[in-house]
This record gives sequence, structure tokens and C-alpha cells, in this order.
Amino acid sequence: MVKLTIDHMPAEVEEGATVMEAAASLGIVIPSMCFHPGYANHPSCMVCLVKDTGRENLVPSCAMPVSEGMNILTGTPDVMEARKEALELLLSDHIGDCEAPCRVTCPAFMDIPLMNRLIAAGDFTRALHIVREEIALPLVLGYICPAPCEKACKRKPMDAAVSICLLKRSAVQHEDPAQSAFPETVERNGKKAAIIGTGPAGLAAAFWLLRSGHECTLFERNEKAGGAMRYSISDDVLPKEILDSEIDTIRKMGAEFRLKTPITKEFFQQEILPGFDAVILATGHQGQSLADMFGLHPDQSGSFVNRKTFSTSLPGVFACGNVIREQKMAVQSVAQGKMAAMQAERYLGTGIISGSPREGGHFKAVQTGGEERKRSSVSVTGALFETEWTEYLQESIPDTRVEPAGMTWSGFTREEAMHEAARCLHCDCRKPASCKLRLYADEYGAGRKKYAGPTRKRLTRSVAHGLVVYESEKCIRCGLCVEITEKQGEVTGLTFAGRGFDVKIAVPFSETTREALMKTARECAEACPTGALALKREEERNL
Amino acid sequence: MDLGSQHIAVITDRIVARHGGKVDAVIPILQDIQEEFNFLPEPAMKRVCETTDITPTRISGISTFYTQFRHQPAGKHRIRVCTGTACHVKGAEFVYEAFRRQLKLKDDEDTDAAMDFTIEKVACLGCCTLAPAIRIDEVTYGHVIPEHVGEVIRDFLSKQRDGMPVVASETKGGGDFQGEIRIGLGSCCVASGSSEVKAELEKTLMHANIKVNVQQVGCVGICNQVPIMEIIKPGELPAFYAKIKPEEVREVVLSHFKPRGYLSRFRNGFFNIFENVLADGAPKSFRKYLGEQRDSPLSKFLGPQVNIATENRGVANPIDIEGYRLAGGFDSLQKCLNTMTRQQVVDEIRESGLRGRGGAGFPTGRKWQMVKDQDAPEKFVICNGDEGDPGAFMDRMLLESYPFRIIEGMLIAGYAAGATHGIFYIRAEYPLAVTRITEALRICREKGIVGTSVFGTEFSFDIRVFGGAGAFVCGEETALIASVEGNRGLPRMRPPYPVEKGLWSKPTLINNTETLSLVPWIIHHGSAAFSKIGTAGSKGTKVFALAGKVKRGGLIEVPMGITIRQIVEEIGGGIAGDRTFKAVQIGGPSGGCLPASSADMQIDFEALKQAGTMMGSGGLIVLDESDCMVDIAHYFLSFTQNQSCGRCTFCRIGTRRMLGMLDKIRSGKGTPEDLVNLEKLALSTTRGSLCGLGKTAPNPVLTTLRNFREEYEAHLQGRCPAGKCLPLIRYEIDATCIGCTKCAQRCPSDAIAFKPYEVHFIDPEKCIKCDICRQICPVNSITIK
Repeated sequence: MVKLTIDHMPAEVEEGATVMEAAASLGIVIPSMCFHPGYANHPSCMVCLVKDTGRENLVPSCAMPVSEGMNILTGTPDVMEARKEALELLLSDHIGDCEAPCRVTCPAFMDIPLMNRLIAAGDFTRALHIVREEIALPLVLGYICPAPCEKACKRKPMDAAVSICLLKRSAVQHEDPAQSAFPETVERNGKKAAIIGTGPAGLAAAFWLLRSGHECTLFERNEKAGGAMRYSISDDVLPKEILDSEIDTIRKMGAEFRLKTPITKEFFQQEILPGFDAVILATGHQGQSLADMFGLHPDQSGSFVNRKTFSTSLPGVFACGNVIREQKMAVQSVAQGKMAAMQAERYLGTGIISGSPREGGHFKAVQTGGEERKRSSVSVTGALFETEWTEYLQESIPDTRVEPAGMTWSGFTREEAMHEAARCLHCDCRKPASCKLRLYADEYGAGRKKYAGPTRKRLTRSVAHGLVVYESEKCIRCGLCVEITEKQGEVTGLTFAGRGFDVKIAVPFSETTREALMKTARECAEACPTGALALKREEERNL
Repeated sequence: MDLGSQHIAVITDRIVARHGGKVDAVIPILQDIQEEFNFLPEPAMKRVCETTDITPTRISGISTFYTQFRHQPAGKHRIRVCTGTACHVKGAEFVYEAFRRQLKLKDDEDTDAAMDFTIEKVACLGCCTLAPAIRIDEVTYGHVIPEHVGEVIRDFLSKQRDGMPVVASETKGGGDFQGEIRIGLGSCCVASGSSEVKAELEKTLMHANIKVNVQQVGCVGICNQVPIMEIIKPGELPAFYAKIKPEEVREVVLSHFKPRGYLSRFRNGFFNIFENVLADGAPKSFRKYLGEQRDSPLSKFLGPQVNIATENRGVANPIDIEGYRLAGGFDSLQKCLNTMTRQQVVDEIRESGLRGRGGAGFPTGRKWQMVKDQDAPEKFVICNGDEGDPGAFMDRMLLESYPFRIIEGMLIAGYAAGATHGIFYIRAEYPLAVTRITEALRICREKGIVGTSVFGTEFSFDIRVFGGAGAFVCGEETALIASVEGNRGLPRMRPPYPVEKGLWSKPTLINNTETLSLVPWIIHHGSAAFSKIGTAGSKGTKVFALAGKVKRGGLIEVPMGITIRQIVEEIGGGIAGDRTFKAVQIGGPSGGCLPASSADMQIDFEALKQAGTMMGSGGLIVLDESDCMVDIAHYFLSFTQNQSCGRCTFCRIGTRRMLGMLDKIRSGKGTPEDLVNLEKLALSTTRGSLCGLGKTAPNPVLTTLRNFREEYEAHLQGRCPAGKCLPLIRYEIDATCIGCTKCAQRCPSDAIAFKPYEVHFIDPEKCIKCDICRQICPVNSITIK
């Protein structure tokens, strides 16, 4: 046995163990990308660096054997900084997007590429399910959304963007009612929420609160629900029956609408505040007029609504939509409705008000060890080089945009939708949740821009294999797949080709991944720390 | 199988039969395939996989790792443009670009349309004193200027047509020898024409029936004066003829071995009337110096030197084993075998204070002890001759000139460590070194010095030669081992160190060539004699390749503790031209730049390390004020970046990003933030890299940032004080122009209009900054702004 000290704690491990293993015995988790149990660890990523006080330089803990009396520090500022720099260097040479640009651009962060793939496969029902994960009013938005996503589409410079907005509408139009699990029946939890205003934000908030079992009462001063969607948008753009059907869906979910009920200060304070566990203000009012109406007090920065938590000076009262600031797009209001609802939910469940997971360019929180961590789209590639189009077209079709035969008004037929959806380039990452580069870049606050070179490498995508996709420029050159193919006795296998900055993982001679990975495709894809080698058809979700 | 692939298969099978089918034969097999086909045809590689244990992944990985291997057919002739440090500071890049223009190469093409020439840059031809130097096949051209590349190609082709000089048979026959003539045949001597001189000499001797012993000797070290011929005649002082040319040989020889009347003619000066095609711009006449002449540049050059590794320099024929034994060769080995225990040998080396000459300076005795202490039936000794620093050719010179000494050093090491096998790992770029060592080993085996029962004792030790395939990183010991084992030359994590788990996981002693060459002397003269030389922590001597802006460059062996100033001023004769001494780059790409103000620093492992540089393998390049330090940092970093194995993040991407920042700074687009990031990344790369290459790659950047920060800052403001960084300079013609039109005629980009008798003008839009006009202007009217 060897005795050593790690972070001032004594450790005792077997001779031949690594520093990383010794640290694990004390519950200290050291990040690593290139290490994989069962394979000869040949350190390359340098994300596992630690300080050995007996040495001048930092050492990779995954491969450094323990020695008697060693004194290891795993969390000093220089160690953290070195790990961050290693990640920043890796990111500077990582070509690919953590999330598709359409999804990043969508204010509601809808999983557009997945919706496209499901529609292309004819599964409109599951496509709608994906849409509804983020968008409470898919049908309405299928008519009125200005579709910022389409402006970001990587297909746009090639011919035209994928017709995302119409596809979203088609998901509703062609949903198989027999398979639809919607509206799902949710057990009521006894908590009551009041929503003031029935515009896109209010309806969206109701949708989410209802789905999580809250009772919802919506207050509307007009005769009918819908807010600006009903009274500011012409019938040519959004037919009233469409809006009505969407509102009807929410009603079916259990919402109670109290129409023609203008809210006075007295009514709010005497009836609503005491009668409900939480309130969401979605009236479209802003600033002082809002404060006067509901008796809100400004916070330290002078605002009446916290932009991160959507909370107000009144406990249990949240605000969203135009209440915060003028929203140009209904989709933004819909997104805010969801976020305010989530905050209200958390408040009702835990009594805690904390920052939105979507602030500051970040979106989505993941639960790791009870701690909420932000996920950012750390890797962003930008427009494709023209020479790269063919790489992405391998998983797409060359045909140009489909125009609905029955004009835009009627939307796509089922076949048209499937064809149009197949134009999607699948530029989103296949490992949005399990990619270690993304995970650690988030954890260490590493950005891609610090060491970005003046030019980037040309991305490639090999799709020859039935099970896996290989994208060489997402690779961090750890060589795990090379070792796996060798150890498992692949006849062709994978190898390092070239040297230095230009080294790549490649298939020998003119063979393809199909010949290279006859039996180890899944193992390689699962061991690959990034999205370089990934399973083709298994959707990994980053919610 | 078609005819072509059948042919390939037959040849490949023959090659495989020569090397066997084990995985570690992959590099020699590929080398032979390339030798045969000029590149690596895929069918040949597939054939190797079919017939041996070598897998497709291995052969693909190896053939794309080592730069020696080509996957595309090459032209009939190879043009190798040396981009070693000395050549770099003397404008090698201009020469390279001029050749590309001459061959009309586009983008990343390296071979001309007619498939006659393939051009490549090489790290160092080891002819630093002929800089800038190029080599076409086996012919080396020195002092090449961009203007003359067309002529060089024509000259080469005419030589091809007319045939190379025929080497006459050696003069034979009885009778008393009238004296001895020594001629250097080291690579740099040959490069500057010594084989032609030798051919001419032998012809003269034969025709005139003069009986003189012609001794071909190894590198004489005085590379700045080569080719050099030494005439030794009983009763006369030895006479050296420096920079002699073939057409001058006859008269020189006749002057010594005929009535004295001829000699006076030389005293009156001898003017060479032939165009000196081999060394454009070099002085047109040879110089003669008499031995022991105190103030001759030769004696000054040799004066402060101490010869241990280079003992008997310029005297011994490299593969004359009898000569080596007469001079005491193999006495040390026999002393060890017959009178000393293994431990006593290790102790002797430890007490001498010898430290590894490969760069890091690990105590040699301690390393030997570690291997000796390993209890294993099989142990290896490897001589690391994978010298690859641009501007360093010490190992090459030692291997070429003193093969027996190094073999003896290895045998002593093998005996002390209890090893069973030895391997010489020699770069493929050193064909002469490979030939000499191979030949010397053959002779030793014949004489019972290598192989079973060395000198009839119980000690058996066999030695083989392994040719590297062009990867600087293989100088790192774990990468070297990987390479011998038939793998890509990737360094691995240490510990375990090779002394415990080295080649084939057996204890392995890896010593640098120079280290081993010092061993016989230490055993012969005793550790005390060795440790008397040098400083407290650094004992003995160190061989340096002195080049750059000094008057006299060459290979020098100096005692540790000598100051940089002594080397530059006494041995090197100071700075050439009217320029001033600015800095010295020491230790090659792993080392750093010390300013002239540090010139009184003593050469010592610790002192150099403290100054941010290192001993390295011994390149010593002197710089003057026309050298830009940002450019120098960029130069070395681009070398290491290019040589990175690509395994760990900081070296693979970090060096590339640093280079990008230097590019930005060199083009005047840098910001103060870039300097901060550059320094930070340099430090992280030092701290976070796995092997010596990555750990030391930032040194040239860090030392120039430390010692010449103001130059970086000038670049941030858009100025290159030395006038080196192309984006920041422009060429202008001043009023002194006489209108000779030479520049207009030669400008490759038509940037200068042809205006006889008028002051010319350079169109900055068209100018490609090739430097030709400045070099050919007869009145120095062209200036860099």
C-alpha cells in the first residue's frame, strides 16, 4: 500500500494505482476526457491535471502512478486555470455546434432538428410532443411566428432554410389523434394559481401550470381570451378558429376562464391574493402602470419585476410577457410564460425563488448531484464553407424547399411535410448531454473564442456505417477508439493519421468506417468523449 | 493482379524477406519501399500487411507520422532547402520562395509539372557555415541567393548530363612516401566540394607520380574554412589550405612536392579565374595558413577549444580501426573489462560529474547505476543520435568522424549496466553517419570487439543500427523507444522511466551520442581529469555548432564554464560585417535567446536554465541587430509546432495558437492583450505538456518576451525594428539609384519599371518582398523601410 496526501487528506491505495484513483477513494472527482477504464491510459486531453508539490509542473492524474509521500492538490487556482486553458484550446479546434443554430435562435429553445427528424420519419405525433415541450401554442405560432430560427438555418445559404414554422404547424395538423396522449390527465395537487391576462404569455403559463397539476384560473377583461392575438392580428394572418381551437385545448386541460373580468386593485388584493397560492401577471402592462395596478414596489435596481426570477415584491406573484418589456414576437411571450410558470412551480413546491436557468445566453439546467448547472452552447461553428455542404447533405436531400401545393395558408400535406423535413442537415450534435467537452467547458467557464484561430478546419462527416457517424473535427484526438478497435481485434480498425496539429483519426487506406468498425462501433461511440463518434439513430436529449 | 501490382508485390516481398515480418520491422520496410519507388504506393503497403504481422492501422499510422515518407510520387530530383537557424537568419525563406517561383509551383504543390523536381524544406543540412544552403539530390550548393536559383538548377542539370567528377583510384605503389595530405570528408566538407578536391588531388598525384599518403579524415570542425587540405611534410610546418578548390589543387600539391619555386607564386597571391558555382558569393580564393601560426584565424578558432569528444580531430581516418587503436582506442574498454568491476565503472563515471549532453543534463553515472541495479536478464543501451535541432549537427559530426569512439563508449556503458544489446538510433537525414557506424560495427564484429565475448572476455554485447524516419520528437527517449518498437513516435508518460521499463519493457539505458563519446576519455584519463574541467555543476566539455552572424563558424568543443563572449569573440572572431552583437540563441528550439548583455554568463547547465534557456543539444546561433527577435521566436516555435507528435492538448493546439498570435504580432495586428495571452499560454504549455518537446517549446517565446519585450511592443505599434517582418516593411529605392536597370530586369513580380539612367521606383502593390533587388543593387540604393 502507498500512503499519500490529496487535498490535505491522507489516502492509502494499492501500489500501481493512479492519482486519479487515489483521489476517487477520497470522493474527489477529477475531470477527464481521454481516460476510459479498461484501456491503457495515455494522457492527452490534460483536463485531469493536478499539482504534485514535489514537481515543477502539473501532472495528468489519470496516468500518474502514486508514490509514497506524494502531496497532491486538485483544486488550486493554477490547476483550475490550466484545466480551463486545456478546455479552451480543445474548443478552439472543435468544429461543430453543441445545439443547432435554429434551436439556439428560437426564443423558446424548441428542439427543431428533432422535430424535423420525426416529421421526416412520418411520426407527427411524437414531433408534436417535442414541439409542446417548449411551445404551448404550436398551432397559433405555426401561423404567426416570424421564425427567427429559419434565418439561422445552416441550409439557408445553400438554397433556402428548412420551412420550420410550417413544419411545426404540420405537426399539429397531421398528428394522429388516436396516438395522441394529449391533453394528458394529470392528478391535481391542490395548489391554485391565478393568471391575469390571456395573451400568449398567460396562456403558455396556464399550459405549464396545468400540466404539472395546478389548478389555473385565467382572468380576462375582454369578452374572449387571446389578448393581442385576438385583437391585434388580422383574420388573414391568424384565423380566429385556429386561435379558438388552441384556447379550447387549454380549457380542456382544466383551465377556468373568467372573462369580462377587469382586475381592479381592490379585487386583486381582496379576492385574488388571498384566494390563490400563486399569481402570474400577464396583462401586457409595464412599469409604473403595472406597479400602480397591483401595488408592486421597485427592487434595488428600480425594476418591478426581476428579469431572472420573474418575481415581484409580492410573495408568490410573478410576471411575464409584455409585463417585463415589449415583446416583438409571440414566441418570446410563449417562452416567458413557460419560464414564469416554472418559477411559480418551484416556489409552490419549495418556497425558493432562484435565478432562471436560461439567463445570460444560457439555457436549460441539468441536475447533477443535486446541483443545478447551466448548459451553454459552447461550441458554435457559424456558416458552413461551401466545400462542406456535401458533408452535411449526406444525411439530407438535395431538393430545394417545398412550397405547399395548397398555398401557405393551408400548410403542408403529410407528404410535403415529410419531404421538407428531410431537408434538415442534422447540424445539431448527437451528444448534447453526454459530451464531456461541453460538460466541463460549462463547469470551468471555458469559452471557445479565447484561442479561436484565424481560420478553422474543414469539417467532415462519415456516414458510411449503419450505426455510427464520425465527424473528424469534433474529435479531441484521445485515441480511445484506436485502442478499442485494436484491442477488440478489428480487421481494419482505426488509426492516427498524420502528426501534430493536423493529426486525425482515420480509417487505413481507402476503407470507410463500415469496414473499420465491424464489431466495435457501439463501444467506440459510447467511449468517445465528444460527439465525434456517435450513434446515428439514438436521440440523446438535452432538455 | 495486373502487371504493375505484380511488380510491386515482387519487390515488396523481397524487401519483407530482408527485414522479417515482425511489427518492429515496419519502419525499415517502409524506408526500403520508398527507396525503391520514390514514394509509398498503397498496393505495396497492403502487400506488407498481407504478408507480415504489420496491420493496416500500424502501417497507415507510421507512414503518415514520419516526414520521410511520401504518399505521392516525387519528382526525379529532390531539392532540399535548408531552413536551419543559420540559413533562416541568412534568408532561406527567400531562397525557398525563389525556387518555388522558378518551378512555377502553385499553392501546396511540391513537385513541378514535368515531375523533374520536388522541393522540400529540411530542418538542417548541417552546412551552417555555407548558409543559406540547399541540396539537390547529393549536390550541395552554399551561399545561394534567390537571384541565382535558376542558375543553380541549370548547373545541376548540366552536372547530371556531364556526369559527376570521377573519383580516381587511390595512388598505390612502392617507394618512400614523401609526406601526408589530409583532407576532410565530413558532411560539410563534402558539401563545400571536398570530394571534388580529393578527386583532383588523387588525379594530380597519379599523373605526377608523387607518393604521398592521402588520409581522409573526419570533420575538422573548421566548417567556415572548408574544404580544407592539410599538407604534412617531414621537416616542414604543417600547412593548411582553406577553402581550396579542385582547380587549385594541382598547383598547391606541386608547390610542396616539387621545387620551391611554385610556392612563391602563392605567396604573391593566387587568383581564381573560374566561376565558383558551388559557393556563390564566397571569397574567390583559398587561404593558406601555416600550422602553429599564432595569429591565424585557424589558431584563434582552435585555441580556446578542448578536444575530448573530438580528440584527434582532423587527424584520424574515421573508419581506420588500426589508426584508432594506435591512438589508444579501445584501451579504455579493455581496462574496464579486465581490471574494473561494473560498479567501479559506474562509480568512475559518476565521480567524473558527467551529465547527459542531450539537453536536460541528467547525471550520467546515476542513470547507469539505475540500469545496473535492475535485475533483468535482458537490458538495452541506446545511443540517441536522433539529433534534429535546426542549427545543430554535433552528433552527426561525431558519428561520422569518431564511430569507433562512440562504439567504445557504448560498449563500456553496456558492460557497466549489464546490458546485452545496443542500438544506434540515427536520423535518416544522416546517411553518412549511418554508413560509417554500420561499417565500423562490421569491422568491430570481425575483430571480436562487438558481439559474443568482447575481446575474448565473458562480456557479450551486440549492436545494431536503427535509422530514424524523420520525426524530431523521437529524440525524446520514450518516443524513440516507441519508434524502435515499430510505433508512431509518441512520447509516453514517465514514470515508469526507461531505466526500469524501456525498450520492450526491458531496462534501457539511453545516452546521447556526445555523452557516449566522452566515456572512453574519462575511463582512460580518470574521473578527476574530467571533473577538473568545467564549473561546479557542469564538468568537462561541450560541443557546440557555432553559426549565425559570427566571422568564423563551425563545430567547436569548449570547456564548460567558458563564457558566451569568449565563444563569440575569440573563437567566432566577433560579428561579421559592421554589425553589432545582439543576442545568442542557445539550445535550439528548446532553448532561448540571451541578450548580448548576458554574454559574460558561463556555459553551465544551471546558469543556462536559470536564464530561461537550456544547454539543449548544442546549437549556438549568434544574432546581430538585423535579426528580429519576434521572428526568431516565431521561427523556433514554428519548428516545434511542426514537430509536435499531436498527442497532448497544450503541445498540439497550444503551440499552434501561440504561433497564430506571433503571426498576428509579426504582421502588426497584435494587441497588448495578445502579448498577455501569449505569455500565459506559453507558461501553461510548459506546465501542462507531457514530454520535453512540449515543456520546452515555449522557451524561445518566453526568453524573447523576457529579454526583448520592447521589440514585441514595437510590433504592436506596427514597427519591426530589425526590418525583418515582411508585412511591416516595404522596399524603397532612394535617390542614389544610378538607373542601371538591374533591379527592373530581375524583379520577379514586375514591381519595378524599366527606366534606364533614371531613379527607379518600386510599386508597393506589386512588390512581393523577395529581396532580390536589394541583393543585386550595385550601389546599395534599395532600403527597407
